Amino acid sequence: MTLWIDVSCILVVFLALSVLATNRIVGMIKIFAVQSFILSFVPLFLHADAVSGRDITLSLVTMVLKAILVPAILFWQIRHISMRSEIKPLIGLGTSILFGAVLIAVAFWVSLSLRLPGKLLSSLVLPCSLATMLLGFMTMVTRTRAITQVLGYMVIENGIFLFALSLFDAMPVLIEMGILLDIFVAVLIMAIVLNHINEEFERTGGSAGRSKTGETV
Amino acid sequence: MSSLLNVTFPVLAHWMIVCLLSPFFLGVIARVKAFFSGKAGPPVLQPYFDLARLFRKKCVYSSTATWVFRAAPVIILAAMMALSLLVPFGICKAPVQFSGDILLAVYLLALGRFFMILAALDTGSSFEGMGASREAFFSCLSELALFMNFITLALLTRSISLARMIGADVPIVWGGMEPTLLLAVASLFIVLLAENRRIPVDDPETHLELTMIHEVMILDHSGVDLAYLLYASALKLFIFFGILVSIIVPVRTGYPVTDTAIFLGGMLGLAALVGIVESSMARLRLNRVRLLLLISFALAFFGLIVTLWRA
Repeated sequence: MTLWIDVSCILVVFLALSVLATNRIVGMIKIFAVQSFILSFVPLFLHADAVSGRDITLSLVTMVLKAILVPAILFWQIRHISMRSEIKPLIGLGTSILFGAVLIAVAFWVSLSLRLPGKLLSSLVLPCSLATMLLGFMTMVTRTRAITQVLGYMVIENGIFLFALSLFDAMPVLIEMGILLDIFVAVLIMAIVLNHINEEFERTGGSAGRSKTGETV
Repeated sequence: MSSLLNVTFPVLAHWMIVCLLSPFFLGVIARVKAFFSGKAGPPVLQPYFDLARLFRKKCVYSSTATWVFRAAPVIILAAMMALSLLVPFGICKAPVQFSGDILLAVYLLALGRFFMILAALDTGSSFEGMGASREAFFSCLSELALFMNFITLALLTRSISLARMIGADVPIVWGGMEPTLLLAVASLFIVLLAENRRIPVDDPETHLELTMIHEVMILDHSGVDLAYLLYASALKLFIFFGILVSIIVPVRTGYPVTDTAIFLGGMLGLAALVGIVESSMARLRLNRVRLLLLISFALAFFGLIVTLWRA
C-alpha cells in the first residue's frame, strides 16, 4: 500500500503545480477537484491493513465536501462573473512553474530536518504535504483575482489535510471533521461575499487601483 | 575478416530493423487520426510510398544556398542512424554501448538539430529563419527536461549507458521506484511530442501556417533531400518510441517471440496514444508551448528530487 500512498502524494503535488500553471479558472477548479478526489483515498491507503469506520467516514466526507461541494460552489460562483481566466498574474506562468519546481525542492529539503512523532507508512507524505502547501501559497500570492486566491487557499488546505493525515492517529476525528466543516463554511461565505462584491462593483480584482481614466482596474 | 563481420553484422541488422520499421509508425499515427476524424485515411504504408516517390525525384536548390544546405539532410539522417545504434529495441540489443553514451545520444540529437537550423537559415528566407529560432528555443527547453530524466534514470539504474538505463535494469527498478518512473514517463512523453514536433507543440500536417516550427524549416528542401529529412524524423520518432516503450513495458519473459510481440504491441499502443492526443487536442499557442515544456521540466525535476529523497 506504500506504493499507492506514494503515487497519491506525487499526484497531489503535481496537481498543485498544475493549478499554479493554469490560467483558466474552470481548469483550476477541475484540477482542484481531482486533487481532492485523490486525497480522499489517502486515509484508506494509510490504514489499508485494518480499515476502520473512522477512515471510511473521513474519506467519504472529504470526497463529498472537497471533491464535489466546494468545486460546485466555486462553479456556481463564477457563473455570475464574466471573467473566465486570470488575466494578469503578478509573475508570468513560466516563471511560476520554475519557482514551483524550486519550492518543491525546498519542501523536500526542509522536511529532512523535521522529525514527526509516530512512524509513517511512507516517507513521501511529509515532504509532499509541505510542497503542496508552498505551491498553494505561490498560487495565492501570484494571482490577482479573488477567486484564484480562494483556489490557492484551497490547495494550501489540501496540503494541510495531507499533513494532518500523517498525524492521523494523534488527532481525534471530531477535530478533523470540525476542520473540514470550517473549510466548507469558509468557501461558502467567500462565495457569497464574492458574489455580493461582484454585484456591487462588477469587478472582483484583488489588487485595487485606479487607472488614469478613472476606471477601477 | 570474421571479427570484422562479427562487429558489422549486429550494426547492419540493427539498422535494417530500424530503417524498415520506422516509417510504419508514422502511418499508424496518421491512421489513428483519420479514424478519430471519421475518415478512411491513407494506408498504413503511405509513408513508405511517400519516401519512395521522393527518392525518385531530383533536388532543386535555391541560388543563395551554400554547401550547408546540401549537406544538412545527409548529416541529420546520419546523426539519427548513429543514435539508433545506442538504443535497444525490444530483444535487439544496442550494438554500441559504453559508459556515458547518454551524452553522445543527446549530442547526436543536438547535432541533427543544429544542422537543421543552419540549413533553414542558409536558405535566406525570413520565414524559415522564424522556424529556426522557434526550434532553437523550444529544443533548449525540451533538452533540459530530457537531461533531467536521464539523470533520474541514471540514478535509479546506477549506470550512465543508455542501453542499460532503459534496457536491462529497468524491470528491477520498477519493483520499488514506481512513482518516480511515472513522473519520468510523463515528462518523457511531453519531450517526445515536443522533439518530434507532434500536435500540442507543432502540427506535422500543415504547410504555410505562421505558427509551425519543423515543417517551416524543411520548406525549401525537395526531392531526395526532403526524403532524407522525412526519414530522419521517422527515425527520431521511432527512437523516442523505443526509449519510452522500454521504460514503460520492461517485460522480459525470456521467449524471443513473446518479447517481440510485447514490444511491438507497446510501440503500436504508444503510436495510437500519440494519435489520440493529436486528434483530441488543438495545437497550443506558441507562448503556451513554453509552459508545456516547463511543466515537463518540472515533472522531471520533481522525479529527480523524489529519487534523491528515497535513495
